[in-house]
Amino acid sequence: MSGAERLVRRVSRLRPEGFPWRAPTWPVTLERDPPPRHLGADYDTEWTRRYPARLARAVLLDNVTRPLAHIVASPEVRGDEILEHVEAPAIYVANHASHVDTGLLLSVLPARVRHKTVVAAAADHFFDRRWKAHVWSLVLAAIPIERHRVNRKSAEDTAALLRQGWNLIIFPEGGRTHDGWFQPMRGGAAYLATRTGRPVVPVHIDGTYRIWPRGGTHLRRSPTRITFGSPIVAAEGEDARRLEARIDAVLGTLADESRTDWWSARRRAGAGETPSPRGPAASPWRRAWALGPDPHADDEDDDSRWALADD
Amino acid sequence: MSPRPGFVLEVDRSTPSTLFWHGEGYRLEKLPVGSRVLYAPEPVDALPDPVGAIRRALDEPLGDAAPLRSQLHAGMTLTIAFDDVSLPLPPMRGPDVRQLVIEQVLELAAEAGVDDVVLIAALALHRRMTDAELRHALGARVFDAFAPHGLLWQHDAEDPDQLVHLGLTDQGEDVEINKRAATSDLLVYVNINLVAMDGGHKSVATGLASYKSLRHHHNAHTMAQSRSFMDQHRSELHSSNWRMGRLIAASGVKVFQIETNLNTDTFPEQFRFLQRREWEWTARDRAAFLASSKALEATPDRVARSIFHSIRAPHKMSAVQAGEVEAVHARTTENVYAQQLLEVEGQSDILTMGLPYICPYNVNSIMNPILVACLGLGYFFNMYRGQPLVRAGGVVIMSHPTPWAFHPGHHPSYIDFFEQVLAETTDPAEIGKYEEAFATDPWYIHLYRTGNAYHGVHPFYMWYWCAHALEHLGSVIIVGGDRAAVRRLGFKPASSMADALEMASDVVGRDPSITHLHSPPLLMADVR
Amino acid sequence: MKGLVFEHNLARFAASRLASVVGGSGRGAAVGPLHFTDVEPPELPGPRWHRVHPILAGICGSDLSTVDGRSSRYFEDVVSFPFVPGHEVVGTLDDTDARVVIEPVLGCLARGIVPPCAACSRGATGGCERVAFGHLAPGLQIGFCSDTGGGWSSGGLVAHEAQLHRVPDELSDDDAVMVEPTACAVHAAVAAGAEATSAVAVLGAGTLGLCTVAALAQLTRPAWLAVGAKYDHQRRWAQELGADEVIDPEQLVRAVRRRSRSLEASGTLTGGADVVIDCVGSDESIAQALRMVRPRGRVVLVGMPGRVSVDLASLWHREVTVVGAYAYGTEEIGGLVRRTFDVAMEVVAVKGLGRLVSARYPLDRFEEALAHAGAAGRRGAVKVVFDLRARGHFRGTRPSTKGPDS
Repeated sequence: MSGAERLVRRVSRLRPEGFPWRAPTWPVTLERDPPPRHLGADYDTEWTRRYPARLARAVLLDNVTRPLAHIVASPEVRGDEILEHVEAPAIYVANHASHVDTGLLLSVLPARVRHKTVVAAAADHFFDRRWKAHVWSLVLAAIPIERHRVNRKSAEDTAALLRQGWNLIIFPEGGRTHDGWFQPMRGGAAYLATRTGRPVVPVHIDGTYRIWPRGGTHLRRSPTRITFGSPIVAAEGEDARRLEARIDAVLGTLADESRTDWWSARRRAGAGETPSPRGPAASPWRRAWALGPDPHADDEDDDSRWALADD
Repeated sequence: MSPRPGFVLEVDRSTPSTLFWHGEGYRLEKLPVGSRVLYAPEPVDALPDPVGAIRRALDEPLGDAAPLRSQLHAGMTLTIAFDDVSLPLPPMRGPDVRQLVIEQVLELAAEAGVDDVVLIAALALHRRMTDAELRHALGARVFDAFAPHGLLWQHDAEDPDQLVHLGLTDQGEDVEINKRAATSDLLVYVNINLVAMDGGHKSVATGLASYKSLRHHHNAHTMAQSRSFMDQHRSELHSSNWRMGRLIAASGVKVFQIETNLNTDTFPEQFRFLQRREWEWTARDRAAFLASSKALEATPDRVARSIFHSIRAPHKMSAVQAGEVEAVHARTTENVYAQQLLEVEGQSDILTMGLPYICPYNVNSIMNPILVACLGLGYFFNMYRGQPLVRAGGVVIMSHPTPWAFHPGHHPSYIDFFEQVLAETTDPAEIGKYEEAFATDPWYIHLYRTGNAYHGVHPFYMWYWCAHALEHLGSVIIVGGDRAAVRRLGFKPASSMADALEMASDVVGRDPSITHLHSPPLLMADVR
Repeated sequence: MKGLVFEHNLARFAASRLASVVGGSGRGAAVGPLHFTDVEPPELPGPRWHRVHPILAGICGSDLSTVDGRSSRYFEDVVSFPFVPGHEVVGTLDDTDARVVIEPVLGCLARGIVPPCAACSRGATGGCERVAFGHLAPGLQIGFCSDTGGGWSSGGLVAHEAQLHRVPDELSDDDAVMVEPTACAVHAAVAAGAEATSAVAVLGAGTLGLCTVAALAQLTRPAWLAVGAKYDHQRRWAQELGADEVIDPEQLVRAVRRRSRSLEASGTLTGGADVVIDCVGSDESIAQALRMVRPRGRVVLVGMPGRVSVDLASLWHREVTVVGAYAYGTEEIGGLVRRTFDVAMEVVAVKGLGRLVSARYPLDRFEEALAHAGAAGRRGAVKVVFDLRARGHFRGTRPSTKGPDS
C-alpha cells in the first residue's frame, strides 16, 4: 500500500462508521422511489442567474476567459459596429467548429451583452454529469438544450429567458463540424425567433477549426476572424421554416465575406453565386482538400501545439 | 558562385588534420603524408521554383507516358506510394519534397474529381512510420486530409490479404507486391534519390514487395555480385529488380514514376564546418568545431543522439522528372552522378572513413553495431563505380563509437541476431541457416505489423549488404569503438587512428597507400 | 583440537550482516559470530554412532548465508547453538583409513525416534518432521547441531551409521567432497520432472548450478538445456558438463523466447521453457524464472532463498508450479527407488565433478576461505573447501584453481 493510500485510510477512519455519522441505509422491505437525478435537460440553471453567480461569472469572463482567448486565438473582429444598434435581448447564431467558439464569442461581445448572455449547450454532452453541469452553467451560463430529441420544455424555458431579457448564443448546426465545412442547420434558432420576435444576429467564426478541432488532441494557437452580420427580424407571420432558410443564406454569405471581403461577397450573394458553406459533394479527402492550403502553415514545428490528451 | 567540382587531395606536411565523423561527434585526425583525401563536389544549385518544376514534370513526362493530368478521371482508383523515413538523410527541413510533389498530384486529382485515392508508405520490410514522421514527410494538409479517414496506409508485407502474386520472372523470382498498388488504375510513385542505388524499378519492386519477393535479391550471393550496388549496370541487385519491375509493368500495373534529386547541402549553418575543406575553415568554423566537439564528448549518449536526430537538413530539390520508370531513372542517375561523382586514379591499400550518427535504418533511433557495419562496409564501401577504392585483401578503417546499444522498439530482432547469430559466425554465406527462423518468428511479425519495428529478417539484410566488402577485404578495423561489440562483429578494435594504421600494416605491409573518404557530403568514386 | 564455532550473538550477527552487504558475501566472517577456537570432540550420542575425522569439508551457499547473517529466521528453531558448521564432509571412519561421505540430515533414525515419521519411513529423510526433537539437540543437519560437531573442525564429528556412505577407491577426495552438493542437484533434477522432450533453463552457474547441469545431462537428457552463466570459467564448465547453450544471464530470457518462439506480454513470455531451475534464490532470479517458464510449467527453487518479494500475478494467471527442492533422501528413477547419495556418486564419477574443487584452505585461514567462497564467481573459482589434514600455518601447496582443461 502506498503512502498516499495509507494517509487516506487514516483520515477516513476519523469519522466513525454507522448511522448517524454516515448516511442511513434503506430497509429492504420498504419501497423506495428512485432518487431524482436532475441532469441533462432537467438540470435547473436558475441559480446561475442569481447575483452571486453572475458576479463570479463576470469576473471570470473578463479576467480569465477574455485574456486567454486573446492569447490563444488573437481574434480579429469585423462588423461589430452593428452591435451598438441591436436591441437587447438578441439571439446570436454562429457556425460551430470547436469548443473554443463559445469562450471566444463571449470574449468579443461588448460587456453589457457578455454579462447578460446564456449559451445553448447540448444537454447530452455538457449536462450528463453533476460536476460538468455545475461548471458549465456557472462559467459560461450554459443552459441545456436537447439536440437529438424534440423537447418542448427546453424550448419553452429558453423562450422565457429571452423574454426576461437574456441574450442567447446558439449554434444551429447542433454540434461541431467533423471536417471543417458547415453541417446542415436545425430549426431551433428560427423557432425561438418567431416565438419571441427577438432579432437574430448572424456571426461567422473562422479559424477555430485549426485551434482545437473535433477529435483533436492538441490545442494550437492560431489567429481567428469573427464577422458579425446585420440582424434579421422575423417578418409579421413569417414561419420558422422560411426564417431558417434566410438565416442559412446569411450565414453562407458571411462565410464568403470572411474569406474574401464584404463587397465581393455581397455581389455573389446578389447573383446567387455564394459558394456553399457545406462544401463539395465528394469523398472525404476531396472535401478536406477543398478547404484549401493553410494560410498559417509556416508554424510547422509543433512548438505552439499543446497536448490535451495522450496521443 | 558556381559549385566547385570534387577533387583528390594528396596530404603533405602543410595539410591540416582531417575531419572524421565519429558517431554523435567528430574528430580531427592527422593522416600520414602521401594519403589521398577525397573531397566531394560542392552542392549543386537548388531549383528556384520547385513547385513550377514539379508541375512541368507532371505535364511533360519522359519516356512512353502520357501527362499525368490526362491519366486522371473521375471514378478511377488512384494509389500514391512514397519513399519512407529512410530518406532523405538527415531528414529535410519542411516542406519535404514528398509534400511538394504529392500536393501537386492531388491538385490534379481533385480537379479531375478522383474520389478513390489511397496513399501508401512504401516500407518493404522497414519499420512503420510514426504520425509525426508522416506529417513531416507529407505536410499537414495532406496528412490531415487522409489520415483521419484511414486513407494513409503503411505497406504491410506480412498481411496475405494485402498482397498479390504477379508471377515469376524468367529467372524464377517471385514477384509479390502490395495488392492495392497492383490493382489500382494508376500507381504514382514519389521517390527521393539520395544515392544511385535508389529509384527506378527498385521503388515498386522492393518498396512494395513481400519477403517472398525480396529474398531473391536480398541475399549474400546477390550482394556479393553487386560491384557496386550504386552502379546499376554492374549490380546483380538491380538486374533482379529490373526483371521484377518489367514483369510488374507487363502484368498491367500502370506506374507513373516521379523521381527527385536532392543536392548535397546536408548540414545547417551551425554545422557548416562539416562540409567545408579544412584549410578553408574560418575562425568561426574552428570555434564552432572546438566548442561542439568538446561539449559532445561530455554529453550523455541519449542527449547527444536527440540533438543530432533533431537536425533538419537544408538540402533541396535540384531536379525532378516524371513519366515512364526507365526513362525517368536514366535521367535521375545522370543527375546523381553529376552531383556526387569524383574521378579517382587507382586503388589503395587502406581505406579510411568516419561514420556519422545516422544511416537509413536508424532515423530517430539508436545506431547499433550491426548498422555501423552496414553503413561502413555496405554503403560507404560501395560508393564506387568501376572498382573499389581499396584493393582486394586491403583494410578498411572506420571511426565510430559502436556502442553495444540497441533500440528495443525499432530493432528487436537485431538484438537477437547480435547475441545469437553473430556469436556463432560472421560469414554472410553462413548466417542463412537462421534466416527462416527470424523471418517467421511470430513475435517479430507482431512487432513489425503493429509496432514500429523492423522486420525480423532485416538484420540479415544488413549483414548481406556487407557481403561484397567482407569477401574483398583482408581486415576491418574500428577506431574508438566498444571492444566487445567490435569483436562480436568480427572486426578489430583500435583505440586510436595511429594504432589502427599499425594494425593495418600487419595485413597490407609497411608503408601502405591510404585513401580517406571525406564526408559529409556524399560522394561516389569513379575508380580507374 | 581447533575448529570453527558459530555462537549465538546478536550483535555479531548484525555486524556480519553489515559486513557482507558492504564487502560482499563471506566478508562477515571476520567480524561475525564465527570463532576459530579450541573445540572438544563431540560425545557419541549412542551405540550406532561413529566418529568421523574430516579430510575435506566444503563451504556451501547455505553456510555463507549463515555466516553473512542472511538466512531466513525460519531456521532459528531448527538449529542449536553453538555449532560447528560443515556438512559437506569426506573423512575417515573411527580409527581406520576407510573413507566415508556423510549424509548430514538428522532424521528420526539418527534422533532415536521410534516409530519414525512418515517421511523417514519412506527414506525421504529431507522431509523429516522431527528435526527439532528426539535425544539430540535441534538441528536439521550435522553442521547445524550443537551435539554432533561439524566438518569445519579437526576434532571431527559424530554421525549415525545410517548417515555414512562408503567412498569407492576410484573416487578421489575431491570427488568425494562433491557428493553432497551433487546429491542436492540430483534431487533437484528429479524434482524438476523434466522429460527428454523438455526445454530446461538453469539460472546460476556456481557449484549448485553446475552440478544440476551435470545431473540433468546424465539422468534426464532434456531436448534443450540452457544455463545462464556470468563468468567465463563457469561457461566452460557448463559447456563441458553437458549444457546445450550457455548464455549471459541478461540474455537468457531472449534465448528462451527464441527457442520457444513465443511472444511477449507484460514483460513475461507467452510461451517459455518447460522447466526453470533457480540455483540462485534471490528476488531477481525468482522473478526471472517466472518470466521464462511456460504456462503450466515448473520452477524449481534449489538455491536457498530468504525473504523475497515477488509479484505472483503471472504465476497465478499462467498456472505455474513452484516447488522447493531441499536436500535428498531417495529418488525414483526409471521405476527404481534408490538413495540419492548412491545416484550422486555415480554422477560425480561419470562427470568428474571433483575437478570443480578450485581452492583448498587450512582452517586457520578461514576468513580468506570464506571471502573466496563468497566471491567464487568473480575469482574464477567454483567450490572452495577446507583441507583439515593441513597442519598449522600453511606452507607448500597453494590453493589451486583448476579449470576444465586441466
